[in-house]
Amino acid sequence: MMGTQAQTFERASAMPAATWRFLGANDAQIEIPAGLSIQAGVKAEGNVRAGGADALDRALADAQAAWEAAHPAPTAAEEAERAAYLAAEADATYGGTALSAYQSGADALEGARSLAKAFEHGVGNEVAAYLRDVAGDCLLVKAENGQAASAEVVVEAASQAISVAAIDVVAEQGSTVDLSIVVDGPGAQPAGIAGTTVRIFAGEGARVNVARTQTLGEGHADIDDMALFAAEGAHIGVRQTVLGASKSFTGLAGDLRGDFAHVSIDTRYLGMGDQERDFNYALRHHGRKTESVMQANGVLAGESSKTLRGTIDLVRGCKGAEGSENETVLLVDEGVHNKTVPVILCNEDDVAGNHGATIGHIRNEQLFYLASRGLSQAAAEAMFASAIVEQAALDADTSAARSAVVRLGERVAPGFAGLFEEEVG
Amino acid sequence: MTSDALLRCRGLSAAVEEKAILHEVNLEVAQGQVHVLMGPNGAGKSTLGHVLMGDPAYEVTAGEIFFDGADITELAPDKRSRAGLFLSFQAPVEIPGVPLRSFLRAMMEGRGEKLKNKEFRRKTQELAETLDMDPAYLDRELGVGFSGGEKKKVEMLQLLLLQPKLAILDETDSGLDVDALSVVSHGMELYREACDGTLLIITHNTRILEHLNVDRVHVMVAGRVVAEGPATLIDEIDAQGFERYEAAPADAAESALR
Amino acid sequence: MANDVIITASGKRRTQVDDIDRSLYDFRYEDADAERLEAGLTPDIVREISERKDEPEWMLEHRLRSLEVFNSIAMSDWGPSIEGLDMDNIVTYVKPNTDQKSDWESVPDNIKDTFDRLGIPQAERSYLAGVGAQYDSELVYHSMQESASKMGIVYSGIEEALHGEYAELIREKFMTLIPPTDHKFAALHGAVWSGGSFVYVPRGVKLDFPLQSYFRLNAKGAGQFEHTLIIVEDDADLHFIEGCSAPKYNVANLHAGAVELFIGKRAHLRYSTIENWSKNMYNLNTKRARCDEEGEIEWISGSFGSHVGYLYPMSILAGRKARASFTGITFAGRGQNLDTGCKVVLAAPDTAASVETKGISKDGGIQTFRSSVVATPAASGSKCTVSCQSLMLDDRSRSDTIPAMDIRCKNVDIGHEATIGRIGDDKVFYLMSRGMSEEEARAMIVNGFAEPISKELPLEYAVEMNNLIKLEMEGAIG
Repeated sequence: MMGTQAQTFERASAMPAATWRFLGANDAQIEIPAGLSIQAGVKAEGNVRAGGADALDRALADAQAAWEAAHPAPTAAEEAERAAYLAAEADATYGGTALSAYQSGADALEGARSLAKAFEHGVGNEVAAYLRDVAGDCLLVKAENGQAASAEVVVEAASQAISVAAIDVVAEQGSTVDLSIVVDGPGAQPAGIAGTTVRIFAGEGARVNVARTQTLGEGHADIDDMALFAAEGAHIGVRQTVLGASKSFTGLAGDLRGDFAHVSIDTRYLGMGDQERDFNYALRHHGRKTESVMQANGVLAGESSKTLRGTIDLVRGCKGAEGSENETVLLVDEGVHNKTVPVILCNEDDVAGNHGATIGHIRNEQLFYLASRGLSQAAAEAMFASAIVEQAALDADTSAARSAVVRLGERVAPGFAGLFEEEVG
Repeated sequence: MTSDALLRCRGLSAAVEEKAILHEVNLEVAQGQVHVLMGPNGAGKSTLGHVLMGDPAYEVTAGEIFFDGADITELAPDKRSRAGLFLSFQAPVEIPGVPLRSFLRAMMEGRGEKLKNKEFRRKTQELAETLDMDPAYLDRELGVGFSGGEKKKVEMLQLLLLQPKLAILDETDSGLDVDALSVVSHGMELYREACDGTLLIITHNTRILEHLNVDRVHVMVAGRVVAEGPATLIDEIDAQGFERYEAAPADAAESALR
Repeated sequence: MANDVIITASGKRRTQVDDIDRSLYDFRYEDADAERLEAGLTPDIVREISERKDEPEWMLEHRLRSLEVFNSIAMSDWGPSIEGLDMDNIVTYVKPNTDQKSDWESVPDNIKDTFDRLGIPQAERSYLAGVGAQYDSELVYHSMQESASKMGIVYSGIEEALHGEYAELIREKFMTLIPPTDHKFAALHGAVWSGGSFVYVPRGVKLDFPLQSYFRLNAKGAGQFEHTLIIVEDDADLHFIEGCSAPKYNVANLHAGAVELFIGKRAHLRYSTIENWSKNMYNLNTKRARCDEEGEIEWISGSFGSHVGYLYPMSILAGRKARASFTGITFAGRGQNLDTGCKVVLAAPDTAASVETKGISKDGGIQTFRSSVVATPAASGSKCTVSCQSLMLDDRSRSDTIPAMDIRCKNVDIGHEATIGRIGDDKVFYLMSRGMSEEEARAMIVNGFAEPISKELPLEYAVEMNNLIKLEMEGAIG
């Protein structure tokens, strides 16, 4: 098999509405080194099969028809009224509302009324297409109407190789899908890349739960791409645990298209040494009374760095929608570098959006409580860092995920495995 | 009192953001005894508990604190803890992201105790059961989503695990239902039995004291210890409240001490 | 037209609200008497500006360098479109037909009348320690109470000051906080700046009454590029107020001023602005403050006018325990795209900053809150909180919140919270159940929303701001 060509994606994982360039937080740069061998390295178990890559596209096309029927395009008269309304103050010399590049792009996207166009990938469509190409066959996890399906996918990294799994999830009306993904690799390795690109279609009232655990060794890069579509009353829950890899890129974009759709994202990460973490989340609310919850919790130690871009987009028409975003970052060492960009975009009035971020050291009242139990600040910080790994082991929903976490824990803190000896036998 | 008191504070004054809260507090607690600190809301009882533990939110403006023969006035709270002092918080903080058992392990390791993992798990499990607490809580994030009663049980669990020389229980009884209250009382008894523990119980209600042999009662009003006496003082306060101390703290202090 | 109640698609009743009544600001005089330079921007124009001002050589060099920068850098791509701004059509320099005066009687009638109608001389008499008034490109009036000048305070035109006692100090500080390379419009400012104030408050001097500068852009299709330089020495204290307005024309006007504030040790400066430019204005203003040890900058900022706004006052906390606070409100109505916020740099130990902003958008207007908080590795022990609330008055408008935090220091506390939403039906219902009409209830809620900002303004300005909001909410005309 042919190896990789050197390639750089300059604007991967870009946030929808950019800000000052001097912050260097608008997007990420993903480099693919030359000469990585393209590895299969993917094991899948459960209700999963190769091929059938167009099942999701067909489901999306059906949803398009249904959505159009329920949401007729504005009439020419309505369009004209709106244009006249907005232009009332403007005149030929300085016209319109001087939309920014993002704002006019967003208007154009909504105007296109295409579910397929709005179905975007968190790392960007270009990177996602590359990953899909590298992955070759796409895995399909499909649950028929009212049925349940579950699958486990393990991506094993190898040295000087790129291993990618492309996974489509189609959860038909009223069905349930549980998907566990483990991206794992042995300890320090010469350069390599492991990743997944996951597309999720959750039909009416469907429930989809995805847990992705990444425990790669040093030297590797992880690319975690997801694209979500939630129809009426669908619930999608994603948990992403980022523990290993020298560089990790996590990108998730979601379209809460149907009324009452719900998406919740729970992100936990640990940064050590000179590791780099990049997260890009963009959830777009279209349906009425849709709800999104983003939670991120992480510890940065050593000279690690992290950027998290989280965007809640409340699109005109999503009456009654609520989006919330919360991040807590604990900075343990002087050399760390944290960037947080929590964005709310909104052009609907009947909504509630909120975000909060807490960045820095352990809160004073927590620090005193821990001190009153004998923990110095350094001991408390060490506890927070190891707790991220312990929590990941406790929450692991498959034995593959748990073993991967325990192995990583043992690599970073010898003796860690002993804590879970009962569980791992 | 005896000169070999386990805890002794002399002329202790403390302030928060330059506002004085404690005024020249004198208090002694001897090894193995049970003391009660009573007083109306806002008297400064919790502040005294926090100041004894070394909460950096408060500034000690005068006086000194001796514990187990050493001056700990300037000691950091983690060192006081390792010296054998314990404070059960009235409102235990929540620590998201840290499972309770990870916290308990870090707490024990901080004292140089290297428990084998299996032994540690068994012990924490047993203690949870003793305190009528679902052991599943051990794997949950500390305090997150715990009821008021569960939080207090977690405090008692730590008390039994650490077996400190002196435990200050700050309003451990407040807001508990009858069942939780009996669990807390049971925890205090176990602590006393296990290590001949010494207690300083901060409370404004006397129910929790029913099963204990109280050695000494201190009454605090407006940041001062205005009265001190034997256990019978509890019944007096039960019957008459704190009014007579509040009306004229200085006079009351004199009459009570007489 | 006023107070019409319309039924929206969702069946909810809404009060139709009209635009801010701008008739107070929207009057103008022909500028036939004034000299105008050719439109467009060339080195020759820059030389001519410099020559007329009889500037020192270094300033001409600065202008020419800035022009090169302007021509070499691109406009940023993240903000509101400035396509409607044709630089070749912006007349950079319009000199009114008068020299600077220090009593209103000597100011020509039409200009004096302008400032009378804006209430400036009255305000000067009642509560200000000094006033500067700029009309188009030049200061036309400057005066300060004798008591203030006796304290050693200097408040004069900056061009005049370039020839005075503080010339060297100005040279040392000028465009060091805002270098021309910072962004395209900073470069433009560096090339064609004209007018503006210089304030010097000596060590330990505390001025009890505010100084005020008022900027009026009267000429059609012109740009205003005033430069404000304020130095508050150690232990000194100053409150400075800036107001701006312009009549409305059907061609774009440009405002690209620069404000540089130097705050010494333990010194304090409060800088208040009510910006009410007309809706053909592109307001691309840059403001920065640098605080030394324990120095404090307080920004109060109200943005109501302009077609397009880019405004992010920056606080650089360069000395230990320096402090900054930013309190701002932005109100975007029809045809407006206002991108406002602030920047904070924590660059020394134990600094503290707090940011509280409110944004309101209605009638298709767009308001964006944009901020950056940077904590350098030197910022140990520092704190910063940002709180940002946006209110949407209808579903045709847009409110975006784009904050960023860049933290390179462990021992800091950085907190951020933002909320967005509309006036709660429950609140309106509650007030109506107490006998208020719907529009009264909504106006009361919006005023309450703006209260944390208006209470920070001097009384006269708070009244002006509340009137702006009230007019808007009640839909009253004139």
